[in-house]
Amino acid sequence: MTFVQFLFYFFAAIQVLAALRVVTVKNPVHAALFLVLTFVSAACMWILLEAEFLGLLLVLVYVGAVMVLFLFVVMMLDVNIAEMREGFASYMPVALVVAIIMVVEMGMVLTQRIFNVRPPVEKVADVSNTEAIGAVMYTDYVYPFEIAAVILLVAIIAAISLTLRRRPATKYQTPIEQIKVRRNDRVRLVSMKAEKKENGS
Amino acid sequence: MIPLTHFLVLGAILFSISIAGIFLNRKNVIVLLMCIELMLLAVNTNFIAFSHYLGDISGQVFVFFILTVAAAEAAIGLAILVVVFRNRRTINVQDLDEMKG
Amino acid sequence: METIAALLDFLPQELVTVVLILIKIVAILLPVMIAVAYLTLAERKVIGYMQIRMGPNRVGPKGLLQPIADAVKLMFKEIIIPANAGKFLFIIAPMISLAPALAAWAVVPFSDTLVLSNINAGLLYILALTSLGVYGVIIAGWASNSKYALLGALRSAAQIVAYEIAMGFALVGVLMAAGSLNLGEIIDAQRGGIHHWFFIPLIGLFLVYFISGVAETNRAPFDVAEGESEIVAGFHVEYSGMAFAVFFLAEYANMILIGALTTILFLGGWLSPFDGILPASAFTIPVLGSFLDSGVHWFVFKTAFFLLLFLWFRATFPRYRYDQIMRLGWKVLIPVTLVWIFGEGLAIALGWKPWE
Repeated sequence: MTFVQFLFYFFAAIQVLAALRVVTVKNPVHAALFLVLTFVSAACMWILLEAEFLGLLLVLVYVGAVMVLFLFVVMMLDVNIAEMREGFASYMPVALVVAIIMVVEMGMVLTQRIFNVRPPVEKVADVSNTEAIGAVMYTDYVYPFEIAAVILLVAIIAAISLTLRRRPATKYQTPIEQIKVRRNDRVRLVSMKAEKKENGS
Repeated sequence: MIPLTHFLVLGAILFSISIAGIFLNRKNVIVLLMCIELMLLAVNTNFIAFSHYLGDISGQVFVFFILTVAAAEAAIGLAILVVVFRNRRTINVQDLDEMKG
Repeated sequence: METIAALLDFLPQELVTVVLILIKIVAILLPVMIAVAYLTLAERKVIGYMQIRMGPNRVGPKGLLQPIADAVKLMFKEIIIPANAGKFLFIIAPMISLAPALAAWAVVPFSDTLVLSNINAGLLYILALTSLGVYGVIIAGWASNSKYALLGALRSAAQIVAYEIAMGFALVGVLMAAGSLNLGEIIDAQRGGIHHWFFIPLIGLFLVYFISGVAETNRAPFDVAEGESEIVAGFHVEYSGMAFAVFFLAEYANMILIGALTTILFLGGWLSPFDGILPASAFTIPVLGSFLDSGVHWFVFKTAFFLLLFLWFRATFPRYRYDQIMRLGWKVLIPVTLVWIFGEGLAIALGWKPWE
């Protein structure tokens, strides 16, 4: 077994085990953390496949942003875990049967000879993976790229407008108002005569 | 040398696990969303394996777009989840039956 | 390296490679950890002098052994694990926060040949790894099984994620100017004296990057998550002994990393400011010449300057309020970077490249 093969089986084993834990573990926080583990080992495997740009992008976007969002939501929402787990055992046989049938079917298809291709031996002369993707993305795929950008913009606006709520009861500070305040608005100087001191006070 | 089939079978296993996860966690929307992310990951692994073995960079461009759309999906999905929880105090799928006729 | 390889000749070839890489890793991490230890001393000394007092001066000559005394003290303290805490996550959280801060050094070029791994996507690697640091915070807050820790963790995690965006955009500006994701090539693009360094044409991004770096490491004036005089310590309130010390190490290692990255991206890394300004004969003067010439020492000087800025900020600025931090990140820094990148793109499209 070469070192690369060892790495492949190592990361594959981690991915499968972590994915199994994602779907079976009780606590959603642990599920999210196992999903992070799956993503990280998947990123390592992508780098093994010489797709280092996407591997690092997976870590950056998924692990660094999306899963943090998941963890935030899971931790902030006060979810009743026991209720969520209701009927877990009763669904188990169906899930197992479906999953095993799917794996067997796909395995039968995927082990056909048609998938037995060898990778091209010679890579394109020293163009880094990032440059290669960029060269294709900004020429052949420039319209899909722009659509993806618009989708992201829509997602930003949608997410913000969905969750934004004005709370009239909350008290805000407005720095502009605070700066604009003059002394005369707040302090009134009253000139009084000194009062006479009373006896025995 | 690792054959292409190994990568594809790994993708198939991950995909099936996430299908099973959707069956198992029918009541928990958060875990359902995570299962969808897992499914997309399996698909992406296949794309990248094909891209590497066929020497065609377009597969990786597809993965890039899938990542973009999946990130948008996760953001909006979680936003909807938060709003639902705020209004209904639950995210149990069975309690979300307002639309039932 | 060749002599070590020759010494290990009896081992199989793969093992020799692994051993060599391990030696290189130790050779990088040892100075970094020593720098971390002495940064804690430097912080207390510098702030002490700024406040006209002595700082630590009892342990060893001039207090120079203070970090070692601190480390020994923390090592002998008990690590208390709270009742009903997630034990595994509780213990692994400090390591998760320290590991990315150290792993990022793998791609940092110390001089033109001195780099552990000269990968193509170095900048992306750094971005990816720095985005992992937030997990240490979140896991620590969750595993502590304490409301204070959880809320502190959510606060600082939100802050880290928010400032990461501004940081990423600042990096986009740098890679547009350099035309490469490789850190060595980014430095090469700044050759030719101090006026070729990126901090002049990219001054806005430079400031945004460093401010975000300060906020990202949860340092003063952005340290509301810790805010030692106002609230309890934030996400690491339940930690004690060595587990707490590892969080501390991670914070300081992150500071040094941010300083080093700012140096590489905006101040030409190991390049000398006189490179290309002084005539080539000046670099052949026996001692002074090698000092003026580019080399590791310039990298260390520049990084030390940014570390001094970190300490200086802490000594001078009052703490931001949490909503002000969020406002600064989302409504000031990110728009600044967006406008700057747009302007830079326009300049590149028009063929006007002031950094060349």
